[in-house]
Amino acid sequence: MSPVLAIAAKDLRQRLRDRSAIVLGFVAPVVIATLMSFAFGGGDSYHLDAAVVDNDHGELAAAFTQVLRDPELSDLVTVRTVPSEADARSQVDSGEVGAAFVIPAGFTAAARGGTAAPVTVLGRVDEPVAQQVGQAIADGFAAQLDAVRLSVATALSSGATPDGLPALAAEAAARRLPEQVAAVPAGTRQLRSISYFGPAMGIFFALFAVSFTARGYFLERQTGTLDRIRAAPLRPAVVLAGKSLATLGYALASLTTMALVTTLAFDAYWGPPLAAAALLVAMALAMVGLTALVISLSRTERQAEGIAAMLTFGLVLLGGNFVYVSMAPPLLRTLALLTPNGWALRGFTDLATGAGPSAVLVPVLAMLAFTAACGGLAVLLSRRAAR
Amino acid sequence: MAQADVTATARSTTTGAVLECSGLTRRFGGRVAVDGVSLRIAPGETYGLLGPNGAGKTTVIRMVCGLLRPDAGTVVVAGRTMSAAGGLRARELIGYVPQEVALYPDLTARENLRFFGRMYRLRGARLNRRVEAVLELVDLTERAGERVESFSGGMRRRLNIGAGLLHEPTLLVLDEPTVGVDPQSRHAILESIQRFGRSGMAVLYTTHYMEEAERLCDRVGIIDHGRLIAEGTHGELVAQVAERDTIKLVATGDLATFAVACRDLAGVHGADTTDGEVHLLADFGRRLLPAVLELADRRGVTVRSVQVIEPDLESVFLHLTGTALRE
Repeated sequence: MSPVLAIAAKDLRQRLRDRSAIVLGFVAPVVIATLMSFAFGGGDSYHLDAAVVDNDHGELAAAFTQVLRDPELSDLVTVRTVPSEADARSQVDSGEVGAAFVIPAGFTAAARGGTAAPVTVLGRVDEPVAQQVGQAIADGFAAQLDAVRLSVATALSSGATPDGLPALAAEAAARRLPEQVAAVPAGTRQLRSISYFGPAMGIFFALFAVSFTARGYFLERQTGTLDRIRAAPLRPAVVLAGKSLATLGYALASLTTMALVTTLAFDAYWGPPLAAAALLVAMALAMVGLTALVISLSRTERQAEGIAAMLTFGLVLLGGNFVYVSMAPPLLRTLALLTPNGWALRGFTDLATGAGPSAVLVPVLAMLAFTAACGGLAVLLSRRAAR
Repeated sequence: MAQADVTATARSTTTGAVLECSGLTRRFGGRVAVDGVSLRIAPGETYGLLGPNGAGKTTVIRMVCGLLRPDAGTVVVAGRTMSAAGGLRARELIGYVPQEVALYPDLTARENLRFFGRMYRLRGARLNRRVEAVLELVDLTERAGERVESFSGGMRRRLNIGAGLLHEPTLLVLDEPTVGVDPQSRHAILESIQRFGRSGMAVLYTTHYMEEAERLCDRVGIIDHGRLIAEGTHGELVAQVAERDTIKLVATGDLATFAVACRDLAGVHGADTTDGEVHLLADFGRRLLPAVLELADRRGVTVRSVQVIEPDLESVFLHLTGTALRE
């Protein structure tokens, strides 16, 4: 075994004997990714349990309730009838239902008379999505009602006879408003939350390798083992190469484990294996560059720990490891492009939504550029310190 | 440590030196840590670098081992020049044992030795053979599979030395290897170092313990404030400072007359009595002892005990620096 491999193997053996490294590198990412995909599970599908209170008992109120029970909406909403607004509020407050529709008395008459008697949507402040979905359904019904009313008014002004109005209204009601907004996804698959948070958490926890390695370097300097290695007939680059190889190995093992576990256990999709592997290797190389930078910026083990922690958390916050980058403000979306993890996540998101392997080319190049920049800076700083 | 064969490959230049340091100088900021130190070690010789803490011993060692670039001066190991950025062929010949226990506590004794052996490019059967031989040498074969973190301080120290012997170096460099070691382990370590010297291995040994330097070293260099202020065998150093032996006799009889008579013996430079004791100042106390005892017998003085106090390195150091050796 060459000295480079011996140093890498020794570092990895020490890492594997450190329980905290095992937990951070292999157990925690799987657990946290699973929890986060549950927390952000709305990205996959959403279902609303709703209550409806009919204080009107008219035809339009019945029509609205019918809309809520429409088979087309059965995947989105399940509705139950409750006798009073107080009961509805109670069920909303207790979390039994996500939202409640209260149809006011005189709803049908008001609509026929051309005045407003809006349906009230009850919701909880801590469940805004339920209220928004409920509001959207109510708005949709109101828009359809307005469309029918507009159709009838247009027919009358065009000379239609009042005898034919009921049939006309029924025909207008049966027609749906045309689609006004069409979603055009970048890929061909829907992004499942585990397919986003799997890589995101894998990268986040693998970034702890930066701290482990940098601290290990200073610990070796402090205990004299580094001097002992340096006294051996080895070129200085051998120590650096061995330690870099250990970081690369640990990061790749952590990320690969994450990919396998989330794919096999949670049906995450990381993309075509070769393209995903290219992203993983590029990200692991970026961690090697970061490690070199942290070591060159630090003078003690404690400094290395602090700098590594700041860099790690700064990168994951900017890069979108905790929230979907697409949901972040524009500034953060731009800043994410300055981070290797931001690029990696962009690549994994593209792959997970059906983009081809070529989609990883730009992210991989960006991560390699980041690695080169960190490595170059580390060399400059080290040379300055040596002088 | 166990009685095991210690082998050393004898390499030297045509001048016979395993280590030649010339004018080694190193500054840290404005402070001169080592100032023009030159020394030479022959094959099989144990050379002690004696000095108080902060005298510059470790800085010399670090320059010898290529861990620190000298501001001036050269280090040549068996004809191979050392440099901080290279000197790979010189490094092959040195076994370095740092002052602190430089081992991985979370690896076993055997894993530590295998790792450091690989750093010296040992592999395969030779690596296995050397690791087992060193484990036997440091008396840790039974504990080879246990992690170093479970070892006592003495065991760690022994393994620390063993790690420097794996590649059978020509020159073994030990930087204060007995600091913080219990007396039993210390004795074992000193015995093994004596064996290394007898096996033909050259040893450079730093210490601030006088008795270690006196016991182990063929020659001693005294370093203080970064300068090598004296160098030689124990006898040469003592002679260099013209210190004399003291013969102390506890006796009964006419001690005053006896003391006056002793002053006439050749080699005696002074004699006085106090509280039933006679103190003689002489050039070579042990050689003079038979004549002193014969004189006592002739004068009717009964000698109950005799002690010859020879000048030691402590007195040499005191003479040279004007201060006692600082701990």
